[in-house]
Amino acid sequence: MSNVTIGQFFPGNSVIHRMDPRMKLVLTFIYIIVIFVCKNFWALGVMVLSLLLVIIISKIPMKVIMKSIKPILIIIIFTAILNIFYVDSGEMLLHWKFIKITTGGINTAVFMIVRITALVVASSMLTYTTSPTLITDGIERLLSPLKFMKNSVHTIAMMMTIALRFIPTLVDEFDKITNAQKARGADLETGTLIERAKALIPVLVPLFITSFRRAYELAFAMECRCYHGAEGRTRMKIMKYTKLDVFGAAFIFITTSGVIALNILFEHVI
Amino acid sequence: MSILKTDNLTYKYSVGTPFEVTALDSVNLEIEEGELVAVIGHTGSGKSTLIQHFNGLLKPTSGKVYVDGQDIWESKATLREARFKVGLCFQYPEYQLFEETAFKDIAFGPKNMGLSEEEVKERVLRAAEFTGVTTEMLQKSPFDLSGGEKRRVAIAGVMAMEPKILILDEPTSGLDPKGRDQILHLIRNYKNETGSTVMIVSHSMEDVARFATKVLVINKAQVVGYETPPETFSHAEELTGYGLDVPEITKVFLELKKRGLPVRTDVYTLEFGMNELKRLREEGFEL
Repeated sequence: MSNVTIGQFFPGNSVIHRMDPRMKLVLTFIYIIVIFVCKNFWALGVMVLSLLLVIIISKIPMKVIMKSIKPILIIIIFTAILNIFYVDSGEMLLHWKFIKITTGGINTAVFMIVRITALVVASSMLTYTTSPTLITDGIERLLSPLKFMKNSVHTIAMMMTIALRFIPTLVDEFDKITNAQKARGADLETGTLIERAKALIPVLVPLFITSFRRAYELAFAMECRCYHGAEGRTRMKIMKYTKLDVFGAAFIFITTSGVIALNILFEHVI
Repeated sequence: MSILKTDNLTYKYSVGTPFEVTALDSVNLEIEEGELVAVIGHTGSGKSTLIQHFNGLLKPTSGKVYVDGQDIWESKATLREARFKVGLCFQYPEYQLFEETAFKDIAFGPKNMGLSEEEVKERVLRAAEFTGVTTEMLQKSPFDLSGGEKRRVAIAGVMAMEPKILILDEPTSGLDPKGRDQILHLIRNYKNETGSTVMIVSHSMEDVARFATKVLVINKAQVVGYETPPETFSHAEELTGYGLDVPEITKVFLELKKRGLPVRTDVYTLEFGMNELKRLREEGFEL
């Protein structure tokens, strides 16, 4: 259970890690949009190359990156198969009864695979290089100009921060209680689905009770320190844009221009 | 034959990530039947990791664990056997109560062992008696009991499995002095009456001195001592180096020695200290 990577932050001190979370959020968002703007393999190639460059700079091992693709592997394969069979353009490669495979289909399938993979890896890069707390902080700061909903933005951000903060604690707690019940001979690993669900009761009941207790304690502690929402609240850590963020923005700007140019220069695949 | 033995036991957390930590480093130890072993060590020294190996909750990265001469990781059956031979009671065990009544909660372990209903009932009542859980308490919801009562119900839940080795991780933490004494006495009674081996992880040197027959000292993932309490506390300096303490009474006698009185430095209980002072007075020293 301890290998749960929610938030999947991968600590480091690379240039990417040190960038302002707001800038990273915005740039990731732009990057994802640009991926969908790509119309041919040249443009997509530019996107993949720039992503590879970011991965190399961030010093995140390839093994870890691969792990982020694993959960969506089925979706990727499914999309690829659908595209191969349904897209009907270009040269006919195979025609057998109702099955038709064309060069157009294969091209689109490969294009989709690369596109989805790049999309997932790019968003994972954000969560790998930015701690969950910084991400929520960044979101709150980005949304703060929306004055009319300022308080709710703060509340939601605070809730998310607390939720994220307590995930590891809950996982820990879950492990502890599981171990304690296993030590009393509880069998959580074998049996039918229903048996296993039932076997979880001795773990979930104490877990819920502990969570409620924790919630009360946290609320008390926050009130004792005069927490009363966003109004008049100042920051301990003030986010500042640095040269790094300018470089980052310039990098994405150049990539985007490249993609647009290549889209115009070369024939569209999609 | 020893009841519990480890052979070059090594355990690493998060192997292959930047967070890799060696929690246990080739631990060799042998524990005889019927001892009351106190496990002491600084926070993060690997105590909790070590005791979780004894009933197979953690699998060694390398090395072996033998319970009753049987390698517990040999097969699924031996592992399951170890779960029941070694009863492990975690820190703050009251947070794992879940049943509707205290009785049912204590019965959880014995039931999992596949015992008959009568046998389960018998064991629950016996464990309740050891831990001073009254019949009235047995019928209540465990969440309606007081902190100390909950703790005793939780300990009874492990005792009811009647393990050959009972291991308790800081059974007295968070209790008041009276509650602490109660728990320690009931553990000792249990040991004396059943003849089983008991292991207690503790931070209180006073408790260790009063109750243990052997002290297992752990420092930085290694076992650095396994001796009787007076032997252990006679190397006070070493213990301080490990971030551990010695009983207050031992400190007094160390200070006396420093000031030139010919006293023993392995004094670890109050009675022992009194006798030592009497001896000094008889030998004609001004006190």
